[in-house]
Amino acid sequence: MSAGKQAIDPVRLGLIWRRLDGIADQVAETFVRAAFSVVVRDNYDMAFSLFDGQGRQLTQSKRSIPSFMGTLPHTLAEVLAKFPAEKLAPGDVIITNDPWIGTGHLNDISMVRPLFRGDRLIAFAASTAHTVDIGGAPSPSAKDRFEEGLTIPICKIVDGGVESPVVLDFLEENLRQPSETLGDIRAQFAAYRDCDAMLNRLLDEEKLEDLDAIADEIIARSEASMRAAITALPDGVYRDGFTVDGVDKPLRIECAVTIAGETLAVDFAGTSDQVPWPINCVLNYTQAYARYAIKCLLDPHAPNNAGTLRPITITAPQGCLLNAAVPAPVWGRHLSGHYVPPAIFGALAAIMPDKVTAESGSPLWNVYFAGQKPDGDGNFVKMFFMNGGHGARPHGDGPGCLSFPSNVSNQPIEAFEHQVPLITTEKAFIPDSGGAGKYRGGNAQRIGFRSVSDQPITMTIRHERVSYPPRGLLGGGNGSAGIDLVNGEVIPAKSRSELQPGDVVTFHTAGGGGLFPAEERETDLIKADLEAGLVTAAATRETGR
Amino acid sequence: MSDWRIGVDIGGTFTDIVLWDSGGGQLIIDKVLTTPDDPSRAVLAGIRQVLGTADIQARDLGAVIHGTTLVANALIERKGVKTALITTEGFRDVLEIGREWRYDLFDLDIAMPTPLVPRPLRQEARERVGPDGSVVTPLDIEALRPVIAGLKDAGVEALAVCLLHSYVNPAHEQAIAGLLAEEWPEVALSLSSSVSPELGEYERSSTTAANAYIHPVFRGYVDRLVAALEELGFTRELLLVLSDGRCVRAGVATRYPIRLVQSGPAAGAEAARLFGELAGVDDVLCFDMGGTTAKACLIPDGQPERTVHFEVARETRFAEGSGLPLQIPAIDMIEIGAGGGSIARVDQRGLLQVGPDSAGASPGPVCYGAGNQQPTVTDCDLVLGYLGADSFLGGRMRLDKQAAENAIAEHLAKPLGISVAEAAWGVHETVTANMAQAATIHAIERALDVTRFVMLPIGGAGPVHACGMAAKMNIDTLICPTGAGVASAVGMLSSAISFEVARAAPMAAKSLDFERLGAMITEMDAEASDLVTSAGVAAETVTRRLSAMMRYVGQGYEIEAVLAPEVIHTGDKAALLEAFNEAYRRRYGRNEDMPVEILTWRLAVEGPRSGLGQSLLARASGTGASPKPIGHRSAWFGDGFVETPIHRRADLPSGATIAGPAIIEEVESTTIVPPDFDLSVDRALNLVLTRASPTGKGK
Repeated sequence: MSAGKQAIDPVRLGLIWRRLDGIADQVAETFVRAAFSVVVRDNYDMAFSLFDGQGRQLTQSKRSIPSFMGTLPHTLAEVLAKFPAEKLAPGDVIITNDPWIGTGHLNDISMVRPLFRGDRLIAFAASTAHTVDIGGAPSPSAKDRFEEGLTIPICKIVDGGVESPVVLDFLEENLRQPSETLGDIRAQFAAYRDCDAMLNRLLDEEKLEDLDAIADEIIARSEASMRAAITALPDGVYRDGFTVDGVDKPLRIECAVTIAGETLAVDFAGTSDQVPWPINCVLNYTQAYARYAIKCLLDPHAPNNAGTLRPITITAPQGCLLNAAVPAPVWGRHLSGHYVPPAIFGALAAIMPDKVTAESGSPLWNVYFAGQKPDGDGNFVKMFFMNGGHGARPHGDGPGCLSFPSNVSNQPIEAFEHQVPLITTEKAFIPDSGGAGKYRGGNAQRIGFRSVSDQPITMTIRHERVSYPPRGLLGGGNGSAGIDLVNGEVIPAKSRSELQPGDVVTFHTAGGGGLFPAEERETDLIKADLEAGLVTAAATRETGR
Repeated sequence: MSDWRIGVDIGGTFTDIVLWDSGGGQLIIDKVLTTPDDPSRAVLAGIRQVLGTADIQARDLGAVIHGTTLVANALIERKGVKTALITTEGFRDVLEIGREWRYDLFDLDIAMPTPLVPRPLRQEARERVGPDGSVVTPLDIEALRPVIAGLKDAGVEALAVCLLHSYVNPAHEQAIAGLLAEEWPEVALSLSSSVSPELGEYERSSTTAANAYIHPVFRGYVDRLVAALEELGFTRELLLVLSDGRCVRAGVATRYPIRLVQSGPAAGAEAARLFGELAGVDDVLCFDMGGTTAKACLIPDGQPERTVHFEVARETRFAEGSGLPLQIPAIDMIEIGAGGGSIARVDQRGLLQVGPDSAGASPGPVCYGAGNQQPTVTDCDLVLGYLGADSFLGGRMRLDKQAAENAIAEHLAKPLGISVAEAAWGVHETVTANMAQAATIHAIERALDVTRFVMLPIGGAGPVHACGMAAKMNIDTLICPTGAGVASAVGMLSSAISFEVARAAPMAAKSLDFERLGAMITEMDAEASDLVTSAGVAAETVTRRLSAMMRYVGQGYEIEAVLAPEVIHTGDKAALLEAFNEAYRRRYGRNEDMPVEILTWRLAVEGPRSGLGQSLLARASGTGASPKPIGHRSAWFGDGFVETPIHRRADLPSGATIAGPAIIEEVESTTIVPPDFDLSVDRALNLVLTRASPTGKGK
């Protein structure tokens, strides 16, 4: 008996829905545990998502990076444009890292595995994972995407269950750490295998032939939930605009949010044109973060799927910083893309003062260290993430050093030091780095590394918020700006340099902005901050409280 | 010859005491009301009571074994002492910064865990050890004297010391301990290199700080208990159950109180292991459902699954990442927010949602009449006829069925446009499915096929939901043991005196130094063996379990490979690699052509298990007669109310058989036998439930 065409009762729908969520989480965990790279297993710079047979997103794993779960639907659509259903077979895996198809830079590899029930295509498992090295010579001065490494066009890396030696050889020959990247790719193969088995078991047990009826319900209910949330807001056009660091000159981000009945549109007209530096953002990444910001503000507790996105339109003029055209350099696309959520929060702050957060100490900071392993055991290329302070929240202070809008963990210092010839000199909150306010911004961190190598280490950084710190909102003060130092001397925030043996590099990330005027802050909270040393007496006097 | 032992478990409502003569086989079970202000009072009262029943003296006791939720509660309720931390210079904020990720993707307002040590009490030592254990900066011990004086003045009672890379080289931590012995001997000191010698500065600091934080509280409690037992005339050392179900002397437990964070539930898992053994089944899924949460534990081949990662005191109910991480050996359990008190509602999608928030025991479900208006799982079970309004807790508590029906009608049935019974059934099904799913995921993550397991429900609400849950998991057999109501106390009596030590020693498999390993494992063995034999276990009766946490070079998660100790002594690298390959294949379905490394070695030294099972068996007697029901009530099984016979569990002799549907009542719980299940009573008086028409699975 097939129940596929019958109406699904709400109790049963709820059960199946939860199981689909559960499958995504389990499968992601398989991937992370078998992964070979620190960025996946410690930083969780990855996403795993489940789509129905028509390519509609159904769910994603809980620890997915917001941008990746938002870029995967477009990636799948492009994959299906090249390999329509009739060209897909059980056991296929399709791969690509094209920035305009995927997440906006070459370092994220996306893969799609069609899932079959018998010989019928019923779903897609899709995942994206960051790879630290993708060959080429990505640098803060790259002038086009071709300098930035290897592009993998949409192709089958596994064809009918057989791994393609051509694709694997290309990767092997072009990457500096092929075992890490290929290890991660194979860990995803293990995850897809689990996903296939679990999904088919779910359908067996529920006596369903496909996910269609379930997907229709899931998507319709999520769409209705988002439409209701939008309808509750007053119609109008709400704007925000601000200046950001840029590379050789400051740039503008402009944002207009239009609420009309049950639909919401975001447009970034007025944003600076794309630049000949690798900070340009592709539209798919812009859209992913815009939708994410809206979801957080309007409907955070409902599930996230294709239905959530339907009432929302995101546009940006072709050729602008947030919709860069081929072949712009895009390696550091998050340096523009991470400004999308604060722009939307800023625009909606006036009508949603009890929901928005002040700006966080992002775009996300990281650093690349590359060099020779001390035992002559080849090269290393390692990346270290460091988050700034979270913006103040409508009901409390911003937490110190918390990832937003991305959701990238740090990695243990003790693990990091086993991989690179560096000694971490400190990792500490920076006093007075959180913006003042009724609710204060989260503190930033200061973290330092001393080279204990006997050879130079190449260090690459691309940091924002050095000239323009995170803004406070609704009367709150700004967070502190970031700064990068080598042996106490300031270095450019977007640069590649050599760390000589004994050199110490120190990074100060940016502090979160404050929310509401500082005069409204409760005395007990001020006392507690002073006692903890998160705020100094001098700073308290300066802000009036 | 008589050899009396006592197992004591403190629960929220009752303190359970089981007295057992391991020589003669006699078993006495009793319960007294828990005394929350000072739990040791109920323990003493209960012990006196069973001693009186058996007509023996405390000096006749060979062992008192105890488990407690004190540690977990002290952490959840933040009732530890003022605790300070000394860490490497530059790193005092590691304990607060944590891992920098948001555990809820969309909620901008999540609460992050507050560290147990506030910032002013986090102090730094000038020192640094590198990843290879070499000293980068020597320890400036003199600079610590004023720091220590300051902490003393601040009224600190406990101190955690966690220095970077101390899991490789603990010398600096030990030097600080030396200084404290001089300057501040009375402080409760915890060194990370001894509490949790594993890589990962945040998790190790968190574990060490938690150990320090609860140390004085726990020691005070144990001291009081020990003194009272001595006064009673008990002459041996008290034994305590750890989170991994192992049992140690009180003197050892008070050094590592954090290892007792899951003491009670671990003993429950030990009991399930024993019940499974008695029933002759190898693979047991222990399922414990109480008022607020449900826990499931897998026991394949009679060995509970173990873990070394634990999280306690979660800020947002059950959200992974919202609590304090602990690196301790523990029995691996999954806990979900599904209990009798779990609240049911219709969410904004128009779907039924059950939990994770709970009305708990107070005010409890609507039918308790204590003020809660939100319908709970227990209210639905009452409306469905599974629970008797007059027979709950042996009739000691009357339930208000009408109030339950009203709440379900208003909050669930009306918004969903269905009948009250259908809504109640929906809640029952949803919570049951949530648990089934969580337990299934738990099994899949451990590469275990859950359908080959036998389910063993314990806890008050477990047997009400067990059959439904088993059916959803494709499990065909359940065993409801006699003594399930005091399972943790029984588990304490059956647990072995045992201790596990772990040592981090990162090494590539290609360049294993077997000589160094041999020396290290000999050292670990000496440490663990001493702890076990000093508790009275004869050295020749101990067994050992050696394992290596291994992975491919570059990976971050290890797989545990269990090894024969000879592998080290003979330097058999091939056997070592094969053990890894096999374990890896079981989990991931493939092996990679890549180099392998070993991170941590674990060695458990274990005394023999007690013969409690035989005593439990000997209690059984029976006629095989067909039992008569004591009454009927109508119960809902999916598509209508059915007049269902009610039996008293105490009336069921071994050999008895009953076809579902049926309701089996006992004081602590009710077992629901749905229409597609049959029940028989085995020789140990266990209720054995079998699915009459398993779906989709050959039998």
